[in-house]
Amino acid sequence: MSQKKSTSLLITVLLSTLAAVSFFPIYLAVINSFKTQGEMFRSFVALPSKIHFSNYVDAFRQIQLLHSTLNSIIISVVGIGGIVFCAALAGYKLSRTSGRLSSIIFFLFIASMLVPFHSIMIPLTRMAKALSVQGSTYGLAIIYIGLGVNMAIFLYHGFVKSIPRELEEAAQIDGCNEFQTFFKIIFPLLVPITVTIAILDFLWIWNDFLLPLLMLTDVDNYTLILSTNTLFGEYNKEWSLILAALVLTAIPVIIIYSFFQKFIMHGIAEGAIKG
Amino acid sequence: MPIKSYKKYISLLTFVAPAFVLYAIFLLIPTLGGMFYSFTDWNGLNTNYEFIGLGNFIEALKEDPDFISSIFFTLKYVLFMVVLQNVFALLLAVFIESRAKSKGFFRTIFFMPNMISTIISAFMWTFVFAQVLPQLAEKTALTFLDQSWIGDPQVSFYSILIVSLWNGVGYMMIIYLAGLQGVPQSLKEAAVIDGATAFQTFRNVTLPMITHAITICFFLTLNGAFKVFEVVYGLTGGGPGRSTQVITMNIYEEAFSNNFRYGYASAKSVILFVIILIFTLIQIRVMKKREVEA
Repeated sequence: MSQKKSTSLLITVLLSTLAAVSFFPIYLAVINSFKTQGEMFRSFVALPSKIHFSNYVDAFRQIQLLHSTLNSIIISVVGIGGIVFCAALAGYKLSRTSGRLSSIIFFLFIASMLVPFHSIMIPLTRMAKALSVQGSTYGLAIIYIGLGVNMAIFLYHGFVKSIPRELEEAAQIDGCNEFQTFFKIIFPLLVPITVTIAILDFLWIWNDFLLPLLMLTDVDNYTLILSTNTLFGEYNKEWSLILAALVLTAIPVIIIYSFFQKFIMHGIAEGAIKG
Repeated sequence: MPIKSYKKYISLLTFVAPAFVLYAIFLLIPTLGGMFYSFTDWNGLNTNYEFIGLGNFIEALKEDPDFISSIFFTLKYVLFMVVLQNVFALLLAVFIESRAKSKGFFRTIFFMPNMISTIISAFMWTFVFAQVLPQLAEKTALTFLDQSWIGDPQVSFYSILIVSLWNGVGYMMIIYLAGLQGVPQSLKEAAVIDGATAFQTFRNVTLPMITHAITICFFLTLNGAFKVFEVVYGLTGGGPGRSTQVITMNIYEEAFSNNFRYGYASAKSVILFVIILIFTLIQIRVMKKREVEA
């Protein structure tokens, strides 16, 4: 029995050490963002002698925090809303319809999940320019819908199979047309998988870097990540300022993480196992 | 009967149309367009282009040492990532699952880096590598920390790995944790009663029960590793020179910051797609087989 206890202790020590190492960069970013540049270079590891908010005031202004956060929110909300709306309609119908056409359309959606983004980025940029959706936040959100529906349709398609058909038949007998049946009866039943999809897409869209980099040209439309990237390029020696910006960029996701941790982890596991 | 099936099609198409139109415009047509352009000499400066057959592919694979070395650099990265990310994630998951009280705490800590955008993680680590570690080495006895973490390509390969693992292990850990929770307690107890050691139980009971999770995680890490961009972009920018350039970055440079040779860059994109496809299909085929056997 004592051997079992010592193994258990060893695992605890190991996990704690790894956790400390894993948390170390975040700790460093946070404490140094409260120091002056001079104090920081004396020691990176020590706690700040006095808390300075001046880095945050500067970073707040430099990355236009409110504005770029708002842009990120608009892109995520419109993108996720669009993906959920379009994919729920399509996934439901494709799941309920048999026949060749339905299978072909479904296959097209699924096969495209294997296409790497980097293989389409050049024609996509041209397409966005041609349709003049390049450079606008709403335009970017629409592109996210086009790129995100395939996985969402896949997840909805699987989930709809677990919903008994009798519900729709009953609604139709009661005089609902197809769309009423979908929005009043089916869509509310899809909530669990909708939450999963919304979470996966939020993490993807909010944290995405390359697509916004290619699409957004005007600083006023920059997402939070893009603004921070620009700041990093311009002030690459002013670490206290950069760290404050990094912390400000990470705060929204950390807040969301602390509130929705259960849902996020469940969503990831669910999304992966269905895939 | 024909009227009914006609109605069925109309209804199918109306439901599918919103998704399909956007999918076609922003994913399907660009995919096909990229393949089409890969056979042309189209560039951003000229509106006219001509078909040059396999010219781009031959140039990319024969006369472009930077592209070739980016392929090998990426392959090396993929190999390390697939192995290390899964080993770390599975070990963490197994250890965390064995904790009674601290389970939630450790899960929260190890998953947190995954919430932070990859590019932001890379910037954060740039600070650690360029500033903190050299100072730590100077002030303490930990002299091995004094490396040229970002400047020396031999070392920066490992820096890139460290950041990628830090950022990515949590995600796989969650999937493995979900897999482990699906292993019936009674099976493990039966193995213990039969005299199996902890390692034997893991090897012969737990592992076969979570092969599905392993397949998924290998698929995700393999796919993700081939598409690595942000970590390298944020940490080394592909440098010094082009010594840490990955495939995606080579394509990006070719198309957007060098010569705007869209046709040539499209050919490289097609090569990337084919490489990923081949590796993925092999991986799924091999692992699915094992899944069935288990």
